[in-house]
Amino acid sequence: MTLTLQMFKEMIAAAGEAIRAEEKRFSELDAAAGGDGDHGTAIVTAFQAMEKAEGADFKSYLKSLSETLQNEACGSTSTLYGSWLQGMSDTAPAGATELNAATLAKVFNGGLEELGYVTPARIGGKTLMDALIPATEALLAAHSQGIVTMFEWAAAAAEQGAEATCEMRAKFGRAKNLGERSIGPRDAGAASMACIFASFAKSIKAAC
Amino acid sequence: MAMKKFINDPANLTKELLEGLVLCYKGRVKLVSDRIVMRATPKDESKVAIVTLGGSGHEPALSGYVGEGMLDASVVGDVFAAPGAPKLLEALRLLKRDAGIVLVTLNHAGDRMSASKALRDAEKEGIKVREIVTHDDISAGIDADPEDKRGLAGCVPLYKVIGAAAEAGKSLEEIVDIGERFNRQVATLAVAMTGCTHPQNGEPITVLPDDEMEIGMGQHGEAGGGRTKILTADETAARMIALLMQATGVKAGDTALLIINGVGATTLMEMLIVYRKAAQILADKGINVTSGACGEYLTVQEMGGFQMILCKLDADHREYLSAPARTPYWNA
Repeated sequence: MTLTLQMFKEMIAAAGEAIRAEEKRFSELDAAAGGDGDHGTAIVTAFQAMEKAEGADFKSYLKSLSETLQNEACGSTSTLYGSWLQGMSDTAPAGATELNAATLAKVFNGGLEELGYVTPARIGGKTLMDALIPATEALLAAHSQGIVTMFEWAAAAAEQGAEATCEMRAKFGRAKNLGERSIGPRDAGAASMACIFASFAKSIKAAC
Repeated sequence: MAMKKFINDPANLTKELLEGLVLCYKGRVKLVSDRIVMRATPKDESKVAIVTLGGSGHEPALSGYVGEGMLDASVVGDVFAAPGAPKLLEALRLLKRDAGIVLVTLNHAGDRMSASKALRDAEKEGIKVREIVTHDDISAGIDADPEDKRGLAGCVPLYKVIGAAAEAGKSLEEIVDIGERFNRQVATLAVAMTGCTHPQNGEPITVLPDDEMEIGMGQHGEAGGGRTKILTADETAARMIALLMQATGVKAGDTALLIINGVGATTLMEMLIVYRKAAQILADKGINVTSGACGEYLTVQEMGGFQMILCKLDADHREYLSAPARTPYWNA
């Protein structure tokens, strides 16, 4: 079982829809943890921008996603998602229009590695990395189970990672200034990342 | 309190102020691609270029220091917000040269992230660029992790020093070394007396009771923790200069530069009175105080207060500080 480019484009569209439906929740979480309260707007803008992306293979489509997003989204979301997608594009094999599970996991891992150059945040910093790192590790660990299962594992890992941020104290961004008061709500960036992986899993399952 | 400012559509603030800057100082700066302020006459490509980035709303910083002897370009974000990495990358591409580029990033999360991304992309394109991160604010504690210290107005004398070193034909490595050495010997402390409003949405950024002031407040009104009843100019100056002397390690026989940077609503009269006391204390300790500066260099809208900057100077720093500069808001 391989993932076709068309299926991947549908995954992105499904994630965009799920994100839009929860825009208000992401902004409220952001404000509650001491951020600017604009994460919902930022992530919705990012997915709207990505609707304009084009590409006839994974590499060029991912590059186009990264560029359209960076052109229109602003703030840290633009930089973080732009790096994530660019890292995936850099890792994707040239000309490929379908990816097997192992390559797909590598592509997602390439995205995470690129992101690691741009942010010092890792597990425990109360950021989107708390959801993305376990989700990517799940993809790498479960690729032999096939693409449906690997994304189910990733979605569960992202959700667990996002939930764990409730107990964390923010170390990055404006929420850092709140110190202890940032403990309690889920990190908005981790919450939206978990939402993205949940809709990826749903979209792939429906297509297979 | 309603916001009273001479503005038009708040969405156009940054665009309009940059247009004003380049119209007013057209012989010195020009605007490229909406958000990049560059020298009107480019520096010779055999010399290292100096670039910085940051949000608007802090005028004359940072774009007011683009010009001969200081910055080659400043990449501007929205009010109090970092510019995106693509815009910074565009500036790095425009200045690409064999001699290399120094990027000065003030330590604020958004600026750091855009800079990291642009540096990563520039590296992939073969653009030679090194970064200097400024973290002169000592309000988090003198021994705090540099990552926790914000970049305040201490970037301005740094621009002057490394800008002059670049004009003098120093190499990329030499300039980074001179800049990092300066970085280790500069310390800044801010004090706020009255708050300000965000010019785009009219929201108060910080509120201080009528009879209080706060030592250690950040550039965007972030709390610094040092709230007290209002002190006199001399008491405030004495308290601040003591901490800055400790942070820079300046001692008898050293040469130091003292700058008072008004952040918006504090008068030059007050700044000069504060300067006087701080300079007298330094002189009493046997420190040789060079000619300094009092004025608005990096502001926070109509916030009342100032930043006091103390730099311990090496011989080359002294030479570069007095070298010629011709920018909109710093001339030597």
